[in-house]
Amino acid sequence: MIAIQTDDVDIGKLVSDAKRRDTGAIVVFDGVVRDDDITDMDLEAYEKVAVSELENIAREATEKYRLLHVDIIHRIGRLSVGENILVIVVSASHRKEAYEGSRYIIEAIKAGVPIWKKELTKDGGRWVPGEHRHGRGTGRHS
Amino acid sequence: MWYKKREEKEEKMSVTIRFFAQFGELLGTDISAEPTSGGALADLIKEVASKNKEGYDAIFDKNGAFREFVIIMRNGKRLDTAHAENARVADGDEIAVFPPVAGG
Repeated sequence: MIAIQTDDVDIGKLVSDAKRRDTGAIVVFDGVVRDDDITDMDLEAYEKVAVSELENIAREATEKYRLLHVDIIHRIGRLSVGENILVIVVSASHRKEAYEGSRYIIEAIKAGVPIWKKELTKDGGRWVPGEHRHGRGTGRHS
Repeated sequence: MWYKKREEKEEKMSVTIRFFAQFGELLGTDISAEPTSGGALADLIKEVASKNKEGYDAIFDKNGAFREFVIIMRNGKRLDTAHAENARVADGDEIAVFPPVAGG
């Protein structure tokens, strides 16, 4: 499943559903709202583009690391400390491909998928700066 | 007659501009514009952004050039900001303007 949604994710069910007969490893990445002196976090996405780019990333990772199954669910809306932001479930025959495929997906999301976070504090809020700050060039998913 | 028809079509040109994150807070998130045909994409964004000085200054530098970190998409495809200076908008375009992404 590739989705951007407000609802939380049943990670246990995703793991169960990711198993294939030749699955030997499942890696779960669960990005969580950290307490950096914040009250909540607001997440916003350019949804139709973000979903399309997540689908591209899943397809690329599947081909590159011979993955058997990929789920990427990114949440938007208001989330509290401790809540799930992003869940990636990767199924592969061996741990190496599973770990590397999961890492490829999270780094690709951080590099280019149009999603933003605003940390809310008692005094207001602050937008989380992107790690890839250069606007020149057409990006990896042009 | 052909010329007149073309003129009528150009008058109906409709473009959507979408600002995200801090740009959206300052300028609004979903703006409909009816630019004249043949206009530069950068000029359209400048015109829309000029309604809020803080928003304009977040996107453009003092020389009116896109700030280096600004990202532009046209119809879901990234457009180099250097090319956006001269790119022409077309009827039905959806232009997105946003700061560096921070998902994950």
